Amino acid sequence: MAENSDFEPNIVAFLCNWCSYAGADLAGTSRIQYPSNVRVIRVMCSGRVNPLFVMNALQQGADGVLISGCHPGDCHYMQGNYYARRRFNLMRNFLEYLGVEPQRVRMSWVSASEGAKWKEVIEEVVNGVKEVGPMDQFKRRQLNW
Amino acid sequence: MVDVNKLREKAKEVVSRDDVRLLIGYRPGTYGFRARPAFVLGPDEVDELIFTPACVNNLASYITLEEKLPVPRGEEPDLRKVAVMVKGCDSRALVQQMEEKAYDRDRILVLGIPCKGVVDMAKVEARFPNVLERGEIALEGDKFVLSFDGTREEVAREELVADKCLRCRYPTPLVYDELLDEAVERFADDDYSDVSELEKRSAADKWAYWEEKFSRCIRCYSCRNVCPMCYCEDCVLDRLQPQWMRRSVDISENTAYHISRAYHLAGRCIQCGECQRVCPVDIPLMELNRKFYKDVEELYDYEPGTSVENPPLLSTFKVDDREDFIL
Repeated sequence: MAENSDFEPNIVAFLCNWCSYAGADLAGTSRIQYPSNVRVIRVMCSGRVNPLFVMNALQQGADGVLISGCHPGDCHYMQGNYYARRRFNLMRNFLEYLGVEPQRVRMSWVSASEGAKWKEVIEEVVNGVKEVGPMDQFKRRQLNW
Repeated sequence: MVDVNKLREKAKEVVSRDDVRLLIGYRPGTYGFRARPAFVLGPDEVDELIFTPACVNNLASYITLEEKLPVPRGEEPDLRKVAVMVKGCDSRALVQQMEEKAYDRDRILVLGIPCKGVVDMAKVEARFPNVLERGEIALEGDKFVLSFDGTREEVAREELVADKCLRCRYPTPLVYDELLDEAVERFADDDYSDVSELEKRSAADKWAYWEEKFSRCIRCYSCRNVCPMCYCEDCVLDRLQPQWMRRSVDISENTAYHISRAYHLAGRCIQCGECQRVCPVDIPLMELNRKFYKDVEELYDYEPGTSVENPPLLSTFKVDDREDFIL
């Protein structure tokens, strides 16, 4: 969309404490440049992310949501990311069914050593959201009384 | 169809038992063709019980709806069974509740009714409006026979039957202590054509469709209250701390409500269609539930409410679950 070329999306990212948060940290300490649209929320595990979080973020003005956790098999709590994967797949399909573009809700596996991958993931997410424009489906609106 | 005398006889026998506290069944409504739930406490109350295609309510809801008051000191809790009459679809609610360990199998006594389809009251009332006298509906062959005000009308089954019955996979109850009639073979199947049709539309189109539906919602929470699977004692909607959904009626909060209601039924909804039936503003809630139902079946090969042995879908995982969507 041409009119959105200067649109800077807000992305809320839920990162697991043990892998993805450390991965993002590594990207920072390695001075890897990545888009600054992402707002990071640290959670202890990707399995901690309730689908309500995703819904609430989209309501409160996020244009996209990213959930990131450890690679399968690497979860600090053994199985949290497997549960998250199931939940997220259903949530993503459902939001797509309601008419929320699938580029807005993404999930990724980023390990603590993958600073470079973190950059790629963020670029992909930001570009995807830029493509579909601002979230206007069910954003909470301020009422003017 | 079930012989009404046999049904009452069986009901009498059941409520007379020492270990049964209550029988939940159906009785005729006050006017028109409607039937309503009956709560039978003793053998002298069974004479009104019926089962006809007008018995649309899912009585499985009442088992979990009943308020559990604290037992006064010195008294024993009443642990007698609750007997409940269920159709095929309703029995799946019982199975799903037991799968989630809502109660034990020995707390309920199930009278199963093999069912060839119930009517959609909205369709009946559109066709025969303003029937105030008590009328009766019966299923004879592939016709519904409606008798009211001294007249008798025959209508083809397809014209009045509820949509859920056209795709019913389990006409005979999956769990029962006694079956009140001969088992019915599966006569229909579900191809999810309505869901896949909506899926194919563009994102803007889909949102336009749902925006119109959700903006009608008045947040009466009937769909939650009637649902046999919505039995949390502390519902996320009623919570103020944190308050996930505000109570205002606008498109944002309504959408949030419908997302969370549908998501809470992911891998749990058993397609009894009660939510859509009770909706006062005709939101097609089953289209939301059926999306999850379809996904769960396609992605995880799981059908809710079919086996007590299955662990609930979202509390299990497989290492090789699909992950082609992950970056």
